[in-house]
Amino acid sequence: MQSIYINGDEARLTRTGLTELKLELFNGPTYEHVEALRLFPVSGTRQYISLVDSEGKEIAIIRNLDYLMPDSMKAVEESLGAYYIFPKIKRVLARKEKYGNITWTVETDRGIHSFDIRNTSTDIKVLYDGRVIIKDSNDNRYEIESYDNLDSNSIKIMKNDM
Amino acid sequence: MDLLLPIVNTKINKPELENKLNEKLGDERELFRIVCDLKMSGDYGQSVVSFTDSGILCVDEEDSFEPIFVKYDDIEELKFKRMYGNAVFVANKKDGSVFILGRATHALTGLMNAGVQFFEKKGTDISEEEALESIRTTFNNLVCACPKCGRPLIRPGADCINCASKGKLIHKLLKYVTPELKGLISSVLLSIISTAVSLIPPYATKMLVDDIIPSKNKVMVLMIVVFLLSAYATQHIVLAIRGIILRRCGDRIVEHLRSDLFDKAQRLPMRFYDKTSTGSVINRISSDTSNLQSFILRITQEVFSQAFLAVGIVIIMISMNWKLTLLSLIPVPFIVFASRTFGKRIRPYYRRIWRKWSAVSSILTDSIPCIRVVKAFANEARAAAKFNKQNAEWRRVSTKAGTMSSIFPNIISFVVTCGSLLIWYIGGNSVITGNSEISTGLLVSFISYTSMFYGPISFFAGLNDTYQSALTSTERIMDILDAEPENDSGKGNCPEYIKGKVEFKHVSFSYDKSKNILSNINLTIEPGESVGIVGTTGSGKTTLVNLFLRFYDNYEGTILLDGVDIKKIDMGFFRSQVGYVQQEAMMFSDTIFNNIAYGKPNASIEEVISAANVANAHSFIMKHSDAYDTILGERGVGLSGGERQRISIARAILNNPRVLILDEATSAVDSETEKLIQDAINHLVKGRTTLMIAHRLSTLKQADKIMVIDKGRIAEFGTPEELMEKKGKYYKLVMIQSMADQVKLEKEKERLE
Repeated sequence: MQSIYINGDEARLTRTGLTELKLELFNGPTYEHVEALRLFPVSGTRQYISLVDSEGKEIAIIRNLDYLMPDSMKAVEESLGAYYIFPKIKRVLARKEKYGNITWTVETDRGIHSFDIRNTSTDIKVLYDGRVIIKDSNDNRYEIESYDNLDSNSIKIMKNDM
Repeated sequence: MDLLLPIVNTKINKPELENKLNEKLGDERELFRIVCDLKMSGDYGQSVVSFTDSGILCVDEEDSFEPIFVKYDDIEELKFKRMYGNAVFVANKKDGSVFILGRATHALTGLMNAGVQFFEKKGTDISEEEALESIRTTFNNLVCACPKCGRPLIRPGADCINCASKGKLIHKLLKYVTPELKGLISSVLLSIISTAVSLIPPYATKMLVDDIIPSKNKVMVLMIVVFLLSAYATQHIVLAIRGIILRRCGDRIVEHLRSDLFDKAQRLPMRFYDKTSTGSVINRISSDTSNLQSFILRITQEVFSQAFLAVGIVIIMISMNWKLTLLSLIPVPFIVFASRTFGKRIRPYYRRIWRKWSAVSSILTDSIPCIRVVKAFANEARAAAKFNKQNAEWRRVSTKAGTMSSIFPNIISFVVTCGSLLIWYIGGNSVITGNSEISTGLLVSFISYTSMFYGPISFFAGLNDTYQSALTSTERIMDILDAEPENDSGKGNCPEYIKGKVEFKHVSFSYDKSKNILSNINLTIEPGESVGIVGTTGSGKTTLVNLFLRFYDNYEGTILLDGVDIKKIDMGFFRSQVGYVQQEAMMFSDTIFNNIAYGKPNASIEEVISAANVANAHSFIMKHSDAYDTILGERGVGLSGGERQRISIARAILNNPRVLILDEATSAVDSETEKLIQDAINHLVKGRTTLMIAHRLSTLKQADKIMVIDKGRIAEFGTPEELMEKKGKYYKLVMIQSMADQVKLEKEKERLE
């Protein structure tokens, strides 16, 4: 079976809960309690958004958020914003290593936060485009949008683990 | 008990939030409170979810957020919703409205889940005390911080490395050091002797230069040479003996440590392996132990001999000339500083080299064994390019480290040389003017002592780094040695005869407490009955079997064998009574014979052959020229999937188990082999209680009863005929599969035509 794609204005989405949406397909049925999930949470953030029902079954895929009607776009953006917390690290402020426990304190777009990294070799990934994805000991993820554009102090701290 | 309420996971940072909470609480008695690490907006900050006597209160540090209070009585369902990077409580009220309470990162999911469980228990007959007690344990376990200093712990219940004092860690190591104490002490003594002897030659040089050569005493020259010869001989003989003793002790220490670790690793529950990668366990057993060994030797040996050397040299130097001694101490601060900086600088490089190297080797292990895929998709060039890129990165880092490790030591020794030049200059001047007690010989020997002196200095300067890394290794090793082994509470309880009645009573289970994999399983299987378990992937089939095999024991409810709780039966005995044929048949690198006899090492040859016969394995084993002596490679290289499967069936038959578990035994084979295996299984099943997990319904033809599992619950249970009549899920599955078979048959027909 092939996935159904939503290209642009053939669907209207309205926000009905923290992450829940109502999906009205103009040529078809209406779905309640729909949730938007990113198919590529790490790489692309505005493309290929899957819409699933409360059972987790996919109804359709949005090709690109930008082509939706403005109201629908806003609804999906808000729903995604509530579902995905994927802080962007702006600066690495400090690093502490005590008996194998590595703790980073970072400044993100969501505020200052400290977290532990379990295994620096598997949990810090540098992608080909220069982004860095970091997983902490509790399975939360953080992103550095461009490693090369970080300030020198952050790079100096990070080099301990990279 | 009231005194200890509310149970709290962490402090509230802002007094305003605390005030807001207290104000809203009023007279409500707070039972427990989850201080979340996110604001309701999703930014870092704090929000609080407080469970009181009558309901749930949620406040946020932002004033724009209006506090919410929901009474338990109004809540239809309380859920914990795990999202990406955060989680929330969702309260569905009876009037249909939905409330979001509290928001936290995944660090707190365990606590939130405990909160949901607490709410669910409220509706049942479980007392509040009991419910709170389990909340308390969850809080204690999940708030993974040292109760004394608040530092995070590596796992719940672990000793805090900071507080439990380094002494305690070292104390644990003593167990391994003590048996070798004799050897270690004698080797320290030997090393002190050799150090003492090494102090002699410079002094002899002084005598030679100052007294003997000027006085042209040839006999004395010979005597001094002979004396030096014997000194050198003693030194090296002593060093050799010490080396042998030390090696022997060190190897024994690491041997014991490794054996204990391996033994412990065998006994750790599956829970431990779910959380820790097997690679890291292997690493701890192989490299952390050697790391520790070298540290133990260093601390018990080098520290003494180097200290002795340093003190000895200083005493000799001062006795010779205190002014020159002070002069030679000038470079010491620099050496200490430089070697510490060097150690700090170079360490990350080693780590990075290691990391880059593991990237290179991971490409190696990916592409060489998968060479067929690489070739089949014409990907040689891309594979090579990927490899070259990583390889080049490795080179860059390695060269940098190489540069550093070439420059730094040379700078240090240059400074040391400068120090001796200073002594040469000042000392030399003094000798020429002759107005002090410095003679030529004294100067020469002094220079030798100075250069010997810098060795211990840089040793002690670098000691802290070794100490730190050894502590890390110790901690990682202790993590295994101190971990709870599998719980064998029924040790020694071996019932004489197992009939094979299996019962599950109200069994619920979840791996990580976030989602129940099995919920309220109730099931009775009579002795000798075979039950087929059907369900989609992820429905909980394998988990059910894992619980029965006692891989996990933290489930709710009870599992009984012949009416006895399986937790109360001796673990070894219990498992010997349960045969297990896995989905992927694992083989050890050993002979076929030993692989079959794995569960019964003292089996006779004929028993093994007969088991192989029953499993339809004998005929193909015979075809190998080494027959039963064929040595299998890793994961059974050299055998096809079906052959491995039959060997693992033979393994299970040989043990003559009372209960048999077959986990999709025929999943990866062609239909002809399937028939052979099926045949083998039919022999095996006779008279034994059997649980069969299967995708292919043809496998289940022998089953007396079928159980359909859906989302962790038993959806249908009964004889195949009953279920067919019921026209439920099983009926649907049969229809789908027979349709698929029909299509297959038709296609085959077409091809024949």
